[in-house]
Amino acid sequence: MGLFFGSIPGLTFSMALALMLPFTFGMQAVPAIALLLGVYVGGMTGGSVSAILLGIPGTPSAAATIFDGYPMAQNGEAGIALGSAVIASTFGGLFSLVVMMLLLEQVAAIALHFGPAEIFALVLFGLSTICGLAERSLLRGLVAGVLGLMLMIVGLDELDGVARLTFGTVQLQQGVNLLVAMIGLFAVPQVIGTFIDHGHVEPLKLPHDVRARLPSLRQLRERFWLMARCACIGTGIGAIPGAGGPIAAFLAYDHARRFARKPGDFGKGELSGVIAPETANNAVTGGAMVPLLSLGIPGDPATAVILGGLLIHGLHPGPMLFQTHLQTIYALYFTIVFAYVVILAVQIGGIRLFVRVLQVPPHILAVCIIVLCALGSYAIRNSIFDVYLMGLMGLFGYVLQRLRIPVAPVVLGLVLGETLEKQYRTALILSEGSYQVFFASGTALAFYALTALTIGLQFWSGARARARAAGRKAG
Amino acid sequence: MRLDRLDRWLGPCLVALAAIWLWLAFNYIPGARGEGEPGPRAFPVLLGLLLAGLGALMTVFAFTPPKPGSAEERISPVSRREAIIVAGTFGLLMFYAFLLEKLGFVLATPLVILLAMRGILRVRAWTASLLMAGGITLACWLIFVKLLEAPLPRGTWRWLLS
Repeated sequence: MGLFFGSIPGLTFSMALALMLPFTFGMQAVPAIALLLGVYVGGMTGGSVSAILLGIPGTPSAAATIFDGYPMAQNGEAGIALGSAVIASTFGGLFSLVVMMLLLEQVAAIALHFGPAEIFALVLFGLSTICGLAERSLLRGLVAGVLGLMLMIVGLDELDGVARLTFGTVQLQQGVNLLVAMIGLFAVPQVIGTFIDHGHVEPLKLPHDVRARLPSLRQLRERFWLMARCACIGTGIGAIPGAGGPIAAFLAYDHARRFARKPGDFGKGELSGVIAPETANNAVTGGAMVPLLSLGIPGDPATAVILGGLLIHGLHPGPMLFQTHLQTIYALYFTIVFAYVVILAVQIGGIRLFVRVLQVPPHILAVCIIVLCALGSYAIRNSIFDVYLMGLMGLFGYVLQRLRIPVAPVVLGLVLGETLEKQYRTALILSEGSYQVFFASGTALAFYALTALTIGLQFWSGARARARAAGRKAG
Repeated sequence: MRLDRLDRWLGPCLVALAAIWLWLAFNYIPGARGEGEPGPRAFPVLLGLLLAGLGALMTVFAFTPPKPGSAEERISPVSRREAIIVAGTFGLLMFYAFLLEKLGFVLATPLVILLAMRGILRVRAWTASLLMAGGITLACWLIFVKLLEAPLPRGTWRWLLS
């Protein structure tokens, strides 16, 4: 599923995760989370297929792969580009998994000593990742984050048991379900976009007779250290909530070009230009799992859905997860390894299937997605009300998209809002209303500093981008 | 339309939304029980104020003249076709929810697919539309009902027979 959704431009694996999650309810926790993790890593890997064959990234993380992957395909080297991409993806993913295994317990052990004020500061830092998800405008990203937090307010208040803004509706007492909101926000605007494009967009032209070819050992040996460095970049970027695959891939591509013997070859079909971003964007998966599993902080919409899946199956990410569900954690490690092995086999052996998948008209997929949206929303709580709510959230998502307000921060607000409010109020109740409690510990202050740094960096990079654009216009 | 022009009305709209939100919070959410204790209303009020602040900031930025040479961002206006497709898709989803409740999955799904194919996508061939409707319904039934054993809506249409 992940490979399928990841390889088709326009369909995101966040959407695939949101659509799949309701159907894991009947499963045991480990197979259910394994399914979600498989979709996650598959989606991250699958994006390279259309990036190489069509010059259109299947996922934003594969955007940097186009620079050299597409020229390779045009030079008749699509097979070697696809084969190298999947080898690099597997290497990056497994490398980050090892780092994740080494770091998770240590980070979780530190987090075990956090009180409400520290957790509040930590969640605030997690929310500051909205800056990274805000696309072009920080202000719009913050508006989206606040709208997400407002949606979270609806329903029964967890501390006092008071109904908030339910207007006497029984169904709203459980609040706006995270998954219903995600299905609506991610999938419906995509369906509407496909319907609008129908009949106005040229059908995709794919190269004939594509086969994935593995790179030679010499080609891999020459680029081993590049892959290792890019895997480090990807894992590090992945561990920063909000940074994500696209940033890691572009940084790795830039790194590969800077340190190449012939930088001039980049952009014309250089193999390192495919290997570097593909290693980095897959290394993000393990990095992103560190804050998710040890602190309960999702870094992007996809990990937010996985967080939802963990919570639904009774696994509460955070330090206690390692005390209570250690065996489950080990099973998840194994799952990720297995997922990469399957992905490697499927992509090498079944690349023709992906070419066929890319030929399916998008409007046909959009009609299938409408059905999946409705069935997925219904399956969460066996409630027709949730199907109506999903439709409303879809319209809301489309309106936001048209107003250039990003949707991802809305989801982050919905995911983290509950913990933020709960810890804020618990800290104040424990301190008998004294706000000093929020500034009493060094850990909390460190998180505030990180939050300020994240927002400051976003302001700085935004200002720099505007200055560059102005410079280009003047020049 | 230029993005700053859009913000000239989006900013005040956000301020108005924040005002409505605050009014709702003060009228429909009870306050704190004890002194100094943040009650269920505290956080919603904080969010309302935050949204009002962000809306005000957006308005101020929108009316500030852009720096010379700065890039001008534009958004495409909503065409009649786009409005019809958005309304059609939203209506279709609402109708699907209604049909799922009344007719159940097996009857509602092909009907909705036919509506989508012919009403929104304007596919003229009946054969293609019928094949899609039957195929997707059958595939979903096999996967979700038979394979995953997911409970799908069965409808309340039996009242028609009584």
